[in-house]
Amino acid sequence: MGLTRYVIARAGWAAFVSFTIVTITFLLLAFAPNPSVSEAATQAALQGGDPAQAVEQERQLRGLDQPLHVRYLDFLEGVYTLDWGWSQNRQQPVTAALWEGIYYTAQYSIPWTVLTLLIGPIVGVYSAANMYSWRDHLATGFAFFGWAIPNFFFGIVLLVIFGVYLQWFPIQYSTSVPVFSLANVHQLFLPVFVLVTGSIGSVMRVSRNESAEFQNAEFMKTAKAKGVSVYRAYAYHVMRPTMVPLSTTIVSQLLVIFLGSSLLVEIVFGIPGLGRITFDALINQDTNLVLGSTLLFTFIAVVGNLIEDLVFTVLDPRISYDDR
Amino acid sequence: MTESIPTDSAQAEDSTEPLLTVEGLRTKFATDAGSLVAVDGVDFTVEKGETVCIVGESGSGKTVATESITGLIDQPPGMIEGKIRFNGHSLTSMTESELRSVRGNEITHIFQNPQEAMNHCYTVGWQIVEAIKIHDEDVTDAEAKARAVDMLDRVGIDNASSRFTDYPHEFSGGQKQRIMIAMALVTDPDLLIADEPTTALDVTVQGQILQLLNDLQDEFEMGILLVTHDLGVVAQIADRIVVMYAGKVMERGSVFDIFDTPSHPYTQQLLDCLPGRGSAVGGIPGKLPDPTNHPDGCRFAPRCAHAVDACKTGSQPEEITIEGDHSVSCVYYTAGYDRSVVEPPSSESTGKKTEVEYSDD
Repeated sequence: MGLTRYVIARAGWAAFVSFTIVTITFLLLAFAPNPSVSEAATQAALQGGDPAQAVEQERQLRGLDQPLHVRYLDFLEGVYTLDWGWSQNRQQPVTAALWEGIYYTAQYSIPWTVLTLLIGPIVGVYSAANMYSWRDHLATGFAFFGWAIPNFFFGIVLLVIFGVYLQWFPIQYSTSVPVFSLANVHQLFLPVFVLVTGSIGSVMRVSRNESAEFQNAEFMKTAKAKGVSVYRAYAYHVMRPTMVPLSTTIVSQLLVIFLGSSLLVEIVFGIPGLGRITFDALINQDTNLVLGSTLLFTFIAVVGNLIEDLVFTVLDPRISYDDR
Repeated sequence: MTESIPTDSAQAEDSTEPLLTVEGLRTKFATDAGSLVAVDGVDFTVEKGETVCIVGESGSGKTVATESITGLIDQPPGMIEGKIRFNGHSLTSMTESELRSVRGNEITHIFQNPQEAMNHCYTVGWQIVEAIKIHDEDVTDAEAKARAVDMLDRVGIDNASSRFTDYPHEFSGGQKQRIMIAMALVTDPDLLIADEPTTALDVTVQGQILQLLNDLQDEFEMGILLVTHDLGVVAQIADRIVVMYAGKVMERGSVFDIFDTPSHPYTQQLLDCLPGRGSAVGGIPGKLPDPTNHPDGCRFAPRCAHAVDACKTGSQPEEITIEGDHSVSCVYYTAGYDRSVVEPPSSESTGKKTEVEYSDD
């Protein structure tokens, strides 16, 4: 009851936030010089025509002569009907270009997310249970290493060592490999490894510190007094409350790396995913595509935060949704 | 229930053996400051169906002593020595998994702070069912739930079946302690170890919880080992009392022995702290000795008004039996000393009447 209302309210807020971002994007774009207009002027001048007339023509063609509010409504309609324009550079609709990017990005993002979710909390709780042992120090060292080293740099180092010298892994990503094949696992191993080491560090640290608190909680003594085995006590009584603060870290950490580092990693490993497409669009001044990928990343961030809020309330029964 | 526990043939069928026998219990902890001896050679017994109270001020080793019984103390850093026998089995020679089958099954615990004693992420029903299922793998979900609801009802939770799915934070402190009692009794234990079960509760609720424990004790025929520093609680519920100070037993006896003729200076001063009885408004002067470096002789000597040189050398004096079960560990009761120095003034002669009422169980 309370939960349903809370979910609706939160989803409403997420929609409002994305709407605000879309509006700001529109305004920034409306007041920025349009590259195709200046290009038309340059072209007209080069061909001996009248640049001013060419500009006027181009503005008319692109609908820029319309009043701001009409263009705004047009833009909104385009955004919400997934009509995100034409990519000049790639000669295809922006949505189609992004869709192609998602196809390749998902191939490494999904295993990376699953591995982070599985390994991070387990190693963190194990670390807490064996605090200050050599295993804990090893895990802590690994966590800080992965956290500290820039992903793209680590990727280059791994490529040089395992790709160039040892030749264990292919240097260039091949799009002709089937998705579900050993060859694909083989070529995605290094990028997934780099991203997992990057995201797992903070997940491990947070789960270690949080579970260190819970493993000494009074309820652990109660569990022991009930005859609960050590493994069960950790699996149920430590892991569960640890997931509450950890869910925040996991979502924010995955988002940060997804939006930031994946771009660099895709360039290093030559994966034609979202990051690579965005990068090429920026270099080639492909405005529509840049706008499209910006919107996509924003929506992912908004939805990620929404999920984080919802997971939080589901995990911790003490959080009430009634008053919000 | 006990088939997994190896039977110690020598004494297993000895019907005169108490439910719980603790002999020479010594629990120490490895700390940075050296070895901390929290419990230093303590003996006590609990008979079937009786209530034994361990009293003493905070830090005297009461909790550690009771948590050593089922090995609740983490080892390391803890180290438990001595003999602990329960229902004819030696708990000290059991493996961890054998001990686990005793914990929460034949010996159960309730703790001081019901606010923190339950996991906030699970419903109370889940947590009671967990206690059932750990010791009974064949029980069905429906059966376990029925037993849990029934137990919640018996400890006085209204609408038990609908409150089964509520979370701990949706209950008051007193209700939480009732739920902890339900969780402890749902496996029908022979011994309940209650560690300051009323300390965190307000006074009106304290009485209700003690009454509940008293009633359930008759119903379940279980022994209760109760740790407390609250002598009011002791008077209400105890059959026998063990007075502990700094890891040693100072005095032991029936509730009447201790309240009517407290014989150790420490017991006397402890009783003087009761409101309406005695004059020790500010408590007992001085503080507990450093547990990593106990004084020679009687542990209480540095704070004792009657201490003589003999109190401060050697080890804690042997326990001297005064009469029946009543014994005391004080130099003045050994041969060659005048015990009248520390003997309590008899209550008839001073006309001072004990203000604490005994329960008649």
